[in-house]
Amino acid sequence: MQTIKRSWTINGTHYEVETAPLRRLLDVLREDLRLTGTKEGCGEGECGACTVMVDGEPVLACLLAAGQVPDGAQLTTVEGLEHTPGGRVLQEAYAELGAAQCGFCIPGMIVSSYALLQRGGTVDAAAIREAHAGNICRCTGYKKIVAAIELAAERWPTAGTGK
Amino acid sequence: MHTPQTLAEVAVYFPEELDEALAALADESRRGQLLAGGTDLMVQWEAGVRPLPAQVISIKHLSELCGIADKGAVLHIGAAVTHRQLRESGLVRQYLPSLAAAAATVGGYQIQAMGTIGGSLANASPAGDLAPSLLVAEARIVVANQQRERSIPATTFWQGYRTVDCAPDELIVRVECPKLKPGYVEGWRKLGPRKAQAISKVMGSFRGAYDGAVIREFHVAIGSVAPTCIRLTELESWLVGQPLTAATFQEAERRARDTVQPIDDVRSTAAYRRWVTGRMIRGFLETWPR
Repeated sequence: MQTIKRSWTINGTHYEVETAPLRRLLDVLREDLRLTGTKEGCGEGECGACTVMVDGEPVLACLLAAGQVPDGAQLTTVEGLEHTPGGRVLQEAYAELGAAQCGFCIPGMIVSSYALLQRGGTVDAAAIREAHAGNICRCTGYKKIVAAIELAAERWPTAGTGK
Repeated sequence: MHTPQTLAEVAVYFPEELDEALAALADESRRGQLLAGGTDLMVQWEAGVRPLPAQVISIKHLSELCGIADKGAVLHIGAAVTHRQLRESGLVRQYLPSLAAAAATVGGYQIQAMGTIGGSLANASPAGDLAPSLLVAEARIVVANQQRERSIPATTFWQGYRTVDCAPDELIVRVECPKLKPGYVEGWRKLGPRKAQAISKVMGSFRGAYDGAVIREFHVAIGSVAPTCIRLTELESWLVGQPLTAATFQEAERRARDTVQPIDDVRSTAAYRRWVTGRMIRGFLETWPR
């Protein structure tokens, strides 16, 4: 069986990965690297629970072949956000406003939130809903999630300190 | 050849240049299923609705397939340009507004960041949201093999249900799309079960021009109502010379509804799709800026 080697930085830590090229990034993260914060919901690109960032762009780890993530890529999963000022702001805002119920969608949801707030620009309810259109939550009805992201936007660390 | 049972058993070739990919396609022993953003193929493979190939050629990273270039009257859009890049590109938003709007309704942010225009065209779904905009703009799809490039009108590229005019040794390199000319307008409308992460029940685009009191030119293409996205050419011919009046809107709606022959399937019914097609055409005409 063919394997490929990739050097990635995940949440600031260097990893050397060797895997079959078409294995899902999701399986490499969860099974090989034990980064189990990233969840598998539907496994077919509908729900967004497996959202991670590759070079700053939110993507679906269930549809991304590990071999297509280039050498030298910077990956961020929910585990990494905790160690960033912006990630902590989001974590506190989600908790304060009760934005998580069962919580299964939250690792993907919060990665999309982080990507949106890092991109900058206008962050109103419409922009929040658009940026999270690929993340499905079956508990909250989204209202508290949107409110939490609005709160996090108000508290967002000033330029250069969010990462 | 060995038939893989899991994704992990599939061999993948990562060419560094387009020429290497074309050389692999030219050689039957090295030929493989082309893979770009993976938003269709990975789902189909994982769900078992498409058999796993023995060999895959990954092309999304090829620089020759990236980028959007202004070539005067035409935009050249590389096959690996993502939906995200289409919706955010100033050139596409200004000169191909229907295509930018369509790209913004595909999936959600993540799917848009992964999926490519070339992949969408090759997947050839009758619900492929980018096709109507290319049909009304009379775009050309450029495919290449090791010897030469070949330019195909969008109107003949989709030959039937999930069938495209692209040989096993060819790959889509770019789309050449005529810009919207001054005096012309475009529109895009998609009807699905929800705003995002939804496959269309019916969607469509138009491009047209209005002259004095009457329609001078009108192109309209509708998806999810036939084995491929289609231009409604008889309706287009009838509309040329018609005034933008309530009587025209009503007659255009009736003609559109009677023209299309959609099917019942898991996403909608034939009767509803016919009705929506008529309303969509009426909406395009009624909201035409004038």
